[in-house]
Amino acid sequence: MDRVLSDKKAIILMVLPALIIFVSVVFIPVIWTFVYSFYSGMPGLKFQFTGFSNYINMWSNEQTMDAIKMNWKYILIVTPGQIGLGLLVSLMMYFSIKKYKTLCRTIVFIPTVLPTVAVAQMFAKMYEMVPNYGLINSLLNLVGLDQWIQPFLGQPNTAFAALCAMDVWTAIGFYTVIIYGALVDIPNELLEAARIDGASGVKLFTKIVLPMIRTIMITCLVFSFTGTIKLYESATALTKGGPGFATTSMTMNMYQNAFLYDEYGYASTVAILILIQCLLVTFLINMLSREKY
Amino acid sequence: MEREASVKKAFSIIGKLLIVIFLFIEIYPIFWIFMSSLKSTQEFNLTASYALPAKLHFDNYVKAWYQGKMNIYFKNSAIVTIVSLFFIILFGTTSAFALTKMRWKLRDKVMKIFLSGIMIPTAVVLIPLYSMYKGANLLNTRLSLILTYIAFGLPLTVFLLRGYLTSLPDDMIEAAIIDGANIYQVFSRIVLPLMKTGIVTVAVIQFYFRWNDLIFSSTFISNTNMKTVQTGLLYFSDMYGNRDWGAIFACISISVLPTLIVYIFLNKMVIEGMTSGAIKG
Amino acid sequence: MKMMHLKKNDSKIASYYKMRKGKIVMKKRFLVLSMVFIILVSMLTGCGSQQSSQTPPAPTGGKTDGVGEFQSRNIKFLSIWPEDDKNANGWLISELSRQYGETVDAFNLEYEYVSIDQLDQKVKILISSDDLPEVCTYESGVRLKQVIEADKILNVDKTFSDLGIRDCLDEGAVSLLKNLVDGLGLYCVPLGMNMEGFWYNKALFAEAGVAKVPETWDEMLDACEKLKAKGIIPIVQGGSDNWPMTRVLNAYVVRSIGLDALQNAVTGKTHFSDPEYVAAAQMFQDMAKKGYFAEGMNTIDPGTATSMLMNGQAAMNYDGSWKSSNLNSEDNTAGPEGIGFFNVPVVNDSSTLRDYSMNCGNILMFSSKKYDEQVGEWMKFVFPMLGDFAIQETGSFKGFRITEMPEDTTYYTQLVADNLANAENAFLWFEAKMDSETSTLAQNLISLLYTGDISAEDYMRALEETAAKSR
Repeated sequence: MDRVLSDKKAIILMVLPALIIFVSVVFIPVIWTFVYSFYSGMPGLKFQFTGFSNYINMWSNEQTMDAIKMNWKYILIVTPGQIGLGLLVSLMMYFSIKKYKTLCRTIVFIPTVLPTVAVAQMFAKMYEMVPNYGLINSLLNLVGLDQWIQPFLGQPNTAFAALCAMDVWTAIGFYTVIIYGALVDIPNELLEAARIDGASGVKLFTKIVLPMIRTIMITCLVFSFTGTIKLYESATALTKGGPGFATTSMTMNMYQNAFLYDEYGYASTVAILILIQCLLVTFLINMLSREKY
Repeated sequence: MEREASVKKAFSIIGKLLIVIFLFIEIYPIFWIFMSSLKSTQEFNLTASYALPAKLHFDNYVKAWYQGKMNIYFKNSAIVTIVSLFFIILFGTTSAFALTKMRWKLRDKVMKIFLSGIMIPTAVVLIPLYSMYKGANLLNTRLSLILTYIAFGLPLTVFLLRGYLTSLPDDMIEAAIIDGANIYQVFSRIVLPLMKTGIVTVAVIQFYFRWNDLIFSSTFISNTNMKTVQTGLLYFSDMYGNRDWGAIFACISISVLPTLIVYIFLNKMVIEGMTSGAIKG
Repeated sequence: MKMMHLKKNDSKIASYYKMRKGKIVMKKRFLVLSMVFIILVSMLTGCGSQQSSQTPPAPTGGKTDGVGEFQSRNIKFLSIWPEDDKNANGWLISELSRQYGETVDAFNLEYEYVSIDQLDQKVKILISSDDLPEVCTYESGVRLKQVIEADKILNVDKTFSDLGIRDCLDEGAVSLLKNLVDGLGLYCVPLGMNMEGFWYNKALFAEAGVAKVPETWDEMLDACEKLKAKGIIPIVQGGSDNWPMTRVLNAYVVRSIGLDALQNAVTGKTHFSDPEYVAAAQMFQDMAKKGYFAEGMNTIDPGTATSMLMNGQAAMNYDGSWKSSNLNSEDNTAGPEGIGFFNVPVVNDSSTLRDYSMNCGNILMFSSKKYDEQVGEWMKFVFPMLGDFAIQETGSFKGFRITEMPEDTTYYTQLVADNLANAENAFLWFEAKMDSETSTLAQNLISLLYTGDISAEDYMRALEETAAKSR
């Protein structure tokens, strides 16, 4: 038994290719980035060891600080938005409809499968005001709310909101389907028993449903968080980070520093900062769930 | 009692109504894109944007396909995604199996290395990878993307498949070994068929992740003939700006269609995969 | 014994199947999945390869097909203009190259487009990987200077002299270009001999009762007020690209402080945070607040801004003389004399109306590594023709010698020619001397200055802090 299950040749054959690719494309670059973060400039061009100065200068770099603030504001709005609305829709689907459940699930999931850039282009057209009204402005015009007509992507606040709305829109279906899957698995007897005991509405939800779907909610949290903290695709495609730096995320700030300002060293420091935040929050979520991931 | 029933009924009607409204919000923009892609450029100036097209202008699609080079981008995206998907599944299943069911000394350490990858944001590796590929002359090649996608696909794949495999009882494998099966037979005849749902889940998730990638493809690829759908779409809208709305909408529609079609054919499987044991793990 | 085990095994699997019933996907479906994928892939790759074999890689391919035995010389051209836009520089080069392709056996111009906001990054990447294409669009000024210092591009002065075509360049443009790189020499060819200022829609001016074309800034503000009162958008800029907005700011900076205002601030002789500079930013913001700029202007692209001017949706648009090609085209709904031009109005006597914002537009540079005889032949054909070809086709000046003015010079072409002849001194655009970080900042933040989300002080303070880093 052990001889077969600890066949060294097989283990090497099965694990090594994956390990080599993973280590050389992900693991080594992380260490590399860490080393770079103590340098300034660009390799081959004024590349100098500067110790911790990048880490110190970072706090007075307004662009980076703004990006961190923006990114966290985004996480704090979009993550609850995605999961909360996903939960809400899945609950409505679970409790208030009997027929067409599969159809609903299928339709809800559609936005998730669309390419990000296409979605962003679509929303950009929806938000447009000049030269022609996009979908939203022309609908506002139709219902007579002309005072609300505005260049949504031209103002920092509305551009940020527009970005959040888009990313929530895309992901609701994903979380609805996952959470709904967990709801279906709750044993019916449990719900019936609770109902007979007089539990209903909110109580039924907090006492029975929520504990039953706790694990899946934490999984959702991890998914959503890892998605939102690396915000890049959707913001780049919708606003290019503007107006000003109003929708520039941490990753975009890193990108600018590296590929626009030729500051690979400093950009690496920003990257390490992103990594640290990621690890911290994951650690927190793990504590919260008291489960090992 | 009667009152409670009527409250319940009202509740369910409101719920239904909300769901219908919600479904409408999720679907209407997509419908709007397809409608707009059939409009002529003048129509955008003259009619409200929610209006239906007066005549169907299919030449927008012709323009998008040839001038927008969507044909090239599609080919690139398909090759890159499918090849990396194949290897993600191949490497993912074998190593998840070796890491959960086989017995060896460094097993837990290697597992930790893989799992740590889940938390690593793409931004952290971008600069070194760029330098690496530049040094190896791999910029502007599909290989650069395929390698990166495989590496970034593996951690989540191993994690999900591990969750799936641990729920498989060990005695099945043991029974097969007693019957004289070697480790490769155990893997291919017993374990692999039982992992199918897990594999589908992983394939679906990875497909959408890789197909949607923008940050790697826009960093490593600058040659127009190597661009993927995502970078190509950005490029097209930069190039045509507001000059040609119809063509841009057509471009968006074209890029949306294949994923939509795949989904419509496979939606049961996709959704089953999404709600299967792997995610709950 | 063996049988038993097998049975045991089978029943175990069966019970396992039962256990996870509903979660196991049936074999059939798995087959369907793989088949759909395979069909999709083969369809896509099929279409793709068919396509690429039917059409040559670039429409300018000309004679490349069927030559087979000859090694086709492929010249790559990195451009920021859509190839089919007849009003833009890209088409001129591409069309002349097509004509060249008809005279030789194997030649192909590979046209590659990059969006303007990605040009800088892309060129940097190409330089660092030593893969600059034969012909590349770029921007003169500090950025070009860096490329010259990296020793990657041809000295045009020398190359053109060797080829015997040095005299096709306009000397005014040459001296402007040399000045932009602080006298390092001529390492690029111009793609324009441009002056910039305000284009205005004459009908709208008349409608609002603006009789006299503004000569001072106050007169222009006055005109804005009158236009606004009539419900006409006074000024529209293609703000989504940002530079069209910094140009307006630049106009006031130069007119209120002097021709060397930017040069001084960048080198540290003066500071962006000095009150005069802040006052200029304040003027820009005030104009926005008073509604002199189009609403949502930072979401309008330059092409749309031009159409708005021509369609009569907005009265003024600050832009360069390259606009004459749009104005000469059929798209110009304002008609053959409907749009007028005036130089940036003066604020005080630090400069005069004979001082223009002038530049050579985007420039072309040539990789020294990839230069060979065939590239030289191509240059010998294209560049001596460029000046005449551009003036005939688009009525615009490209900084190349013009051997004969077309007889039926349009109003717009003449307008540009007259203004160019009137110019005494030139000043540069806002970012010309800035490093990439300052320039990015200047462009990104102008959008917020426009919306009122940052103050004039903060805008200039941000520029000062960043510029100080590289002094």
